[in-house]
Amino acid sequence: MLAPPPFRLHTPASVGPANASSDNTRSRPAWSPYDDNGGTCVAVAGSDYCIVAASTRLSTGFSILTRDCSKLFKISEQVYIASAGFQGDVRALQKMLQTRNVMYEHIHRKPMSASALAQLLGNNLYYKRFFPYFTWNLCVGLDPEGKGSVYTYDPVGSFERVGFSCQGSGKDLIQPVLDNQLKAASPLVVPAKDWMSALPLEQAQDLVRDAFVSAGERDIYTGDSVEILTITKDGVNKEILDLKKD
Amino acid sequence: MSRYALAFVNINMLGPASSLCLLFKTWTALSARASMGTYISSQTVKKVIEINPYLLGTMAGGAADCQFWLRNLGMQCRLYELKNGHRITVKAASKLLANTLFGYKGMGLSMGTMIAGWDVGGPGLYYVDSDAQRTKGQIFSVGSGSLYAYGILDDGYNFDMEVEDAIELGQRSIYHATYRDAVSGGTVSVYHVTKDGWKKVRGADVGDLHYKYYPDADQHPTYGASPL
Amino acid sequence: MEYLMGIKGKDFVMVCSDTSAAQQIITIKHDEDKIIPIDNHKLMATSGEPGDRVMFSEFIMANVRLYALRFGASLSTKAVANFTRSEMAKALRQKPYQTNLLIAGFDEGAGPSLYWMDYLATMHSMNIAGTGYGSYFVLSMFDKLWHRDLSQDEAFEMMKKGVVEVKARLVVAPSAFQVKVIDKDGTRLLGKL
Repeated sequence: MLAPPPFRLHTPASVGPANASSDNTRSRPAWSPYDDNGGTCVAVAGSDYCIVAASTRLSTGFSILTRDCSKLFKISEQVYIASAGFQGDVRALQKMLQTRNVMYEHIHRKPMSASALAQLLGNNLYYKRFFPYFTWNLCVGLDPEGKGSVYTYDPVGSFERVGFSCQGSGKDLIQPVLDNQLKAASPLVVPAKDWMSALPLEQAQDLVRDAFVSAGERDIYTGDSVEILTITKDGVNKEILDLKKD
Repeated sequence: MSRYALAFVNINMLGPASSLCLLFKTWTALSARASMGTYISSQTVKKVIEINPYLLGTMAGGAADCQFWLRNLGMQCRLYELKNGHRITVKAASKLLANTLFGYKGMGLSMGTMIAGWDVGGPGLYYVDSDAQRTKGQIFSVGSGSLYAYGILDDGYNFDMEVEDAIELGQRSIYHATYRDAVSGGTVSVYHVTKDGWKKVRGADVGDLHYKYYPDADQHPTYGASPL
Repeated sequence: MEYLMGIKGKDFVMVCSDTSAAQQIITIKHDEDKIIPIDNHKLMATSGEPGDRVMFSEFIMANVRLYALRFGASLSTKAVANFTRSEMAKALRQKPYQTNLLIAGFDEGAGPSLYWMDYLATMHSMNIAGTGYGSYFVLSMFDKLWHRDLSQDEAFEMMKKGVVEVKARLVVAPSAFQVKVIDKDGTRLLGKL
């Protein structure tokens, strides 16, 4: 009983007249309100920086819809969200978070912190528990001490603060490499050990670049280009790295 | 009568794993891995959720379901304190959760949780799940690896055991569950609950524990079993 | 698997239930009390989905007690049984409770009564009643043993024989049982089997 996946895709078998004739409903693929548009997001936290990167290709099935679709969304100067999965839900989610951020800034007269946004995103994903947003998210920013912070999510809002994470179609290719290069002790260990590996910024940026170039070689949904943002106390640096276009 | 309580849980975020609690004079919790199908989505998920300084909840089943509703329970418990001017009992807190889950029964939530804590009556331990089953007990083990954990736990448990022994028993139960159950793994955490609230007393990587418990490979039951 | 049995005698009713709480293939408890007191002279033995079982019996118990507080008079066992049946029937068309139960009580004047009810809100007054796989063995046994002038001791012996039969024949037999009795003096736990 405790084993099923954390969410069920809510897929009404068929809608409208298609239902009327029972003969050919079986052979027809069930209509789904979801699509997977691919794309990969990576985030790495450092002791005084945070890197967040996302590929820009947008696909459906074997077709490329566009080569220039940003998967990064700016919430405030220091806080970003990166989302892969179904672009329709990603947009709906971004629009909702944008609205909530504007309300927050009016009420509190300050930008939302990464941790506040992390909980907000978690709650709002869970509010759609029974018809989830089909999105895989990373919430990225700097914490009050200026350390990089990365929060990683499942589509229904379970989340965890981590030192680095990867989501989307290239996850299976990239996450093991990040584990290999960056893995530190678990934050649950007693006595506590440092759970964030502090790579120098340039090395971390190189790692992210390499990860995307490699994923672009083997994942058909990762390609065209990747946006790499580096967040530090001094501001945000944006780099666009070209990937293979085929 | 009872002077203290322990809860245990094992950790690898989203799927099943094992957690167990035992109540004796004191009480403890530990656990560790999260998976989505066969993919391990996290080795570091916090399976013991600290509801407040006197209450712990453990996670098994849907990570989001557990995380969200145990946080919601924390809110309900705080509101109770503000309304009544004293802390909620473990009995009442677990009933609040069971009532919430009863409202969602049949809608596909997946949670197997243990609520452990300390109140005016001493230590308390309840099992609550998404079928809205709620029951009080001395020892529980929940999740995919729970059967393996029971094997160790039932053998070693007794109500009057010393705290140190109980902590070790809990850790060992989880270790053996993570060894047999592919879905369980990561870190084992042990919490000790007393009248002063909970305290985390252990946090160990089960990989390290293996070599601690079995320094020599030939001492392990799986050693040298080749039929050829 | 869950087991409930009830016997009505001349001046008492006796009920037996298993005391295990299960989660899939695991017994998580051996001392779960499934025989819930409604008031001093009434009780309800319950089985079925764990969540529903507790929620439904607590709901019935709370309403029966509320009635007694409001009107200064408690309901008869017959009234409680019919109230329970109507609530079960109401729920059946909305969000059914997967609960089977025996309602037992002793009323001044009317004497003992035993009602059997299932989750479909079928209800009947019985001399002997049972639910669960175990009852298949034991109902026939009780049919043979029951008579109108049954004493409490005889009934308790019947319950013991029933449990022995269940433990001997049923693959999925529970490990622990309890027996409670109601008579003019109220309810008592007779023993654990």
